[in-house]
Amino acid sequence: MRIILLLLITAFVIMPLSTVGAEKAKTIDELAKMYDSSQCKSCHAEIYAQWEKSHHARPLMGVKGGLMLTPLALKKGEKGATAFSEDDPKKMKISNFPCFKCHLPQAVTSAEDSVAAELAEALLAKDSAKVGKLQITCMVCHNEKALIHKRELGAPEKGVIYGNKDVASHAGGKIKKSAIMKDSVFCGQCHGLGPNLEFDQAFQCANLYGSYLHNYVSGGGTKSCQDCHMQKGDHLIAPNFNDDKQTSELLAKALTLDVETLGYEWLRKAATYVPKVVVNTKIVSSAGHRIPDG
Amino acid sequence: MVVTASYKDKDGKVVENKQERHYHPQATNCRDTKMKYGAQWKVANIRDTAIQPHQPKKETIEFELPDGVRSADVTVDLFYEAVNPDNKYPIHSIKKTVSLDK
Ligand code: HEC
Ligand code: HEC
Ligand code: HEC
Ligand code: HEC
Ligand code: HEC
Repeated sequence: MRIILLLLITAFVIMPLSTVGAEKAKTIDELAKMYDSSQCKSCHAEIYAQWEKSHHARPLMGVKGGLMLTPLALKKGEKGATAFSEDDPKKMKISNFPCFKCHLPQAVTSAEDSVAAELAEALLAKDSAKVGKLQITCMVCHNEKALIHKRELGAPEKGVIYGNKDVASHAGGKIKKSAIMKDSVFCGQCHGLGPNLEFDQAFQCANLYGSYLHNYVSGGGTKSCQDCHMQKGDHLIAPNFNDDKQTSELLAKALTLDVETLGYEWLRKAATYVPKVVVNTKIVSSAGHRIPDG
Repeated sequence: MVVTASYKDKDGKVVENKQERHYHPQATNCRDTKMKYGAQWKVANIRDTAIQPHQPKKETIEFELPDGVRSADVTVDLFYEAVNPDNKYPIHSIKKTVSLDK
């Protein structure tokens, strides 16, 4: 009995360790396997279920299943093709998808160019099942994006889970403390400051973190992204734009609308009355950044 | 946001007047003056009418009524559009009746 128990525990410890290997992934399946976090489900069932419904679980088809990277995969010259497109999808490289910086950061550090070519072909074939394998998994946040002081602290260690504190005995694999899991800058790594100027073809997607810093913090705001979006560790990290009802409700809470009206007759000039309706509207937001972004 | 003022004209026909306000960051590719949608085309915001924290968004919207019309129904609809204008999330809908009589 004791031996069986021991074996079980070692299996849990070793699984995450073997997930992030030194070799780069050559296929979508290999990349998905490298960051596969399905083993977390057995113990963190609630968090896992929240995450599965989140935008982070579908970063390449976030809203209503739309395959939004498709324009990049189109042949150069074709209608809708972009500056990042090639004349043959087979020629697509990781650098042809600058979107990976935030939508799939593990592709930048851990995938060969063949993954980009395979993705381009999957996009053109509308193969949602294959594209859907590429996710911002538990290990992308709890390992890959958990350290930003690499000169001082080194790169994230392979297989180690980063959390708010050290937990040597964590049954799912060693947990080390990350300094930034509770800080807005953690989310800011992907939620955008403004134009992405480091690429040879500049472009802009999310710039919500810029708005947080320059419109919310500057106005005296003190809450972090996690304070507002991850109460009690909620990994849905709403809004979830595939849930229309919930999104409407959250937005109604976040934005108050006040309407005042006045009806009167305006005197334009002597004896010329113009009947008028005046509508005064006021919207107040309780969010920590612009709404909407992007 | 869509503000509608509707009233019945002399012949009893319902007339609707609408005014819209659009709140969102607006970007071009910095090579021409056309606004762009889609990260692959946008380079930088040139205007930002989004709703910001600490900054209430206030509007005064006016409708002129034809002579003889003494009341109008005002509806203010606030909704969110994600990715394309057909994908709408209603937020608030406020109705008021405005009369020009005391
Ligand atoms: C065998 C069960 C088990 C598995 C598998 C497991 N965990 Fe845990 N995890 C726990 C338990 C129990 C705790 C609470 C332990 C504690 O706080 O001392 C915990 C706590 C944590 C914490 C919180 C540490 C902190 O900062 O307070 C994180 C983060 C975490 N797990 C991440 C993961 C991830 C990511 C995976 C998958 C790679 C995973 N866990 C797999 C059981 C598990
Ligand atoms: C700086 C990080 C970053 C980069 C680079 C980036 N995105 Fe995004 N993108 C985000 C984030 C974060 C969101 C969601 C939050 C938001 O829109 O504020 C998002 C949302 C989107 C959406 C809307 C949601 C959806 O799923 O339909 C589309 C479309 C999109 N990105 C496409 C792209 C494309 C195409 C590229 C590459 C040309 C790209 N993004 C590059 C961070 C980025
Ligand atoms: C690895 C990059 C990354 C990190 C780190 C990250 N996000 Fe995201 N997030 C994204 C991307 C990409 C999307 C959009 C995916 C899509 O829908 O296409 C997104 C979507 C969202 C959404 C859904 C709304 C929308 O417009 O899609 C919210 C809310 C959100 N993130 C909040 C957070 C918060 C809060 C944190 C920090 C705790 C965080 N994110 C950390 C990349 C990231
Ligand atoms: C978008 C990034 C992101 C993803 C994806 C993500 N996490 Fe987290 N997780 C965080 C952050 C940030 C915190 C710290 C939140 C805080 O303390 O306010 C956290 C905290 C936790 C905690 C501690 C919760 C608590 O209440 O103390 C556990 C356990 C955890 N994550 C497990 C997981 C598991 C399992 C998955 C995959 C199903 C996962 N996380 C995916 C960012 C992420
Ligand atoms: C003061 C609270 C607060 C803070 C701080 C905050 N948010 Fe939000 N955020 C909200 C509210 C409220 C909404 C509206 C919808 C909802 O309730 O989920 C929202 C919406 C969003 C959206 C959807 C944006 C869109 O285009 O509609 C994203 C993405 C997001 N937040 C990410 C973040 C990130 C990343 C941070 C930190 C840099 C952050 N938020 C900080 C309250 C906050």
